[in-house]
Amino acid sequence: MLYKKEWPLLIFLVPGLLFMMVFLYVPFLENIKNSFYNMTAVVKMPGTDWKFIGWENYKRMFTDPDVRTALINSVKMMVLTVIFEVGIAFVLAVLVSQIKRLQQLFRTVYFFPVVISATAIGLMFKLFYNYNGGMLNQILEFFGAAPVNWLSPELAFLMVCIPTLWSYIGFYFVILLTGLSDIPDDVYEAASIDGCSRFMQVFYITLPMMKPVFFTSVTLAVTGALKVFDLPWVMVPNGAPQGVTHFLGTYMYQQSFGLNDYDYGSTLAVLIVVLGIAVSRGIGYLTDDPEERKERKAKRMQKKALKTAGKGAA
Amino acid sequence: MKKKLLAVLLTGAMAASLLAGCGSKNADSKETSKDAGQEAEEPVTLKTVSMFGGTDPNKEAYESINADFMKENGNITIEDNSQTSDEEWKAAVNADFSVGNEPDVIQFFTDATADTIVATGKLVSLEEIRAEYPDYAKDTLDTAIEASTNTDGVARAVPTTGYWEGLYCNKDLFDKYSLELPTDWASMEKAITVFKENGVIPIACSLNNVPHYWIEYLMLYAAGPEEYTSVPETAPEGWVKGLEMFKTLRDMGAFPEDTDTVDDAYVGQLFRDKQAAMQLEGSWYTGNIEDTENTVVVAFPGVPDQKAEAGSKVGGISSGFYITKKAWDDPAKRDAAVKFVMAHTSQESVQKYWEATGAVSQTATETTPVENASPLVDSIGEYTGNGKVIVTPTDSRISDAYKTLVSEIVKVSTGAMTAEDAINETLDIVKQLQ
Repeated sequence: MLYKKEWPLLIFLVPGLLFMMVFLYVPFLENIKNSFYNMTAVVKMPGTDWKFIGWENYKRMFTDPDVRTALINSVKMMVLTVIFEVGIAFVLAVLVSQIKRLQQLFRTVYFFPVVISATAIGLMFKLFYNYNGGMLNQILEFFGAAPVNWLSPELAFLMVCIPTLWSYIGFYFVILLTGLSDIPDDVYEAASIDGCSRFMQVFYITLPMMKPVFFTSVTLAVTGALKVFDLPWVMVPNGAPQGVTHFLGTYMYQQSFGLNDYDYGSTLAVLIVVLGIAVSRGIGYLTDDPEERKERKAKRMQKKALKTAGKGAA
Repeated sequence: MKKKLLAVLLTGAMAASLLAGCGSKNADSKETSKDAGQEAEEPVTLKTVSMFGGTDPNKEAYESINADFMKENGNITIEDNSQTSDEEWKAAVNADFSVGNEPDVIQFFTDATADTIVATGKLVSLEEIRAEYPDYAKDTLDTAIEASTNTDGVARAVPTTGYWEGLYCNKDLFDKYSLELPTDWASMEKAITVFKENGVIPIACSLNNVPHYWIEYLMLYAAGPEEYTSVPETAPEGWVKGLEMFKTLRDMGAFPEDTDTVDDAYVGQLFRDKQAAMQLEGSWYTGNIEDTENTVVVAFPGVPDQKAEAGSKVGGISSGFYITKKAWDDPAKRDAAVKFVMAHTSQESVQKYWEATGAVSQTATETTPVENASPLVDSIGEYTGNGKVIVTPTDSRISDAYKTLVSEIVKVSTGAMTAEDAINETLDIVKQLQ
């Protein structure tokens, strides 16, 4: 124990807790409550009454085809973020960690898209994809090809995924690169002496030793995929075209602030939070070492047994 | 001991910084209440809110009227918080009315959008104001007052200008392809076919963003004014027929290829860049037209087997200045609020607003015509003066539920959803909100 007394620490922790309570937890509880009412406006106006509708919004949510589309797209995005964001970031991080010169340049270049606002990236890609005079169609025109509707229902999801995934690779690249630099050089040196190739070192040293960093990156990527909003909203608002690019975040926003269906929007917000918790717990379970889990369980049982024995003796 | 002292000091500093904001607020409110005490004798501060802010074309006229008003009334200070009207702004107005933070005077909608603030009972009726100030809104035409009556039948707002919606056409493109300006469905159909064949987008419209004007005109012409202006229980035949035209037009290739993903600003640019031939828009759009020599406004050409008379149009007056009970019940502010509204709604001020928006909108008072009008303004004069029926749009009757209808138009246009289902879904929301 670093500090003998805990109360000074508590004093410093309480304001943060209060802040979180007031601006996050209380509004979220209010949000859950709202999902059971028919809200006629965003705030309860004097002279109006909100009717209690029970589970109606939840029933509607489970039968809403747009929720199904949004859910499928969000799950697809989760898988894609793990493969392309964390995957590509890992490959880049391994490659950059192997070079001595220009490492700083690559770090900056790969991280740069993260600092650009999603709105700017969205607008930029929207201009690339424009049917009339967009950059991609100008290139096609130059080669004498017919213009393509890049945001047609068949292509739109892919076209939205490209900038969404691309813009965050740098974030995971930096996290993974930091993780790589924490692996001691002598482990690699010893492996080299034993005749392990550089490629095999990645599988036998880098990957196992990076497990905690991977866990963090995958958790961030997957929960981040559930919250995807700004970029798709700028490029293809309201799930355009024809609702095929809805994500849970964009659909919730459209219902709440586009259609002023605040109670249904609240219900979708509950779904997003529940999914976020479930997914992060699921990843925690999947990436946990079964041996370590067994050890923790044994320790817990031991502690419990000691407590029971103590009580019996008393 | 030193550590304890440091801990106490740090805790104190943190507590002080947390409370600093509240402390200064208290000081402010004390000052305000002191001011309020003095206001009873002389100076008056009016809190005003309007839609004439941000990028609104009326902003300049509104601010100049405010400046003149303060010059003439030295004791009155205006604390104005005007913004361009959007959903966030409407929500903020609702929130202010719900927590007792409403302004003294507000320029706001008069249709169903105002229902929530009207329900709070915090707006004063014209009858009550005129009982004490008989000259209140004296320049405003009776027809304008009637048009801006709230949905409960009570007149509370004093309007300035109205609007109309019409079909803007790039006449030079029609001339280039030897086409007549559309006057009926047959000529419209021909124009769409010819433009499509020649690589010109026939109609600039973003179905995913602003299909509103098309919804209105297709329903009005297919249903006729009577059915169109009703709020039915279930989808009426005329409304369904009207919205089914979206699929007909889409199948004809009338809309841009990327109509499902582009926004209204983009299609507007296509029209102004002469890449599109026609655009259905409101009177406020006139100010964006640069080529006023080759752009004209015509009446909606109609639909097959239409029930509305040719030339019928959508428009009206949908906003005005309200005085809140907060100002009316305050003897220090009542007179100032009345003077303020009268300053903005006098014939002279309405003329200013009218000219600021291109001198093409409907006005709530008599106005003096502007000289040297462009062909665009002339065509608008001809269109708006045709004496044909003018009706207010559907959203003025069903308010927020209208957004659901708008959101389903892409699906209706592709056939993924029937027009009947889209209308019934909307009407269900109307019932829920009642």
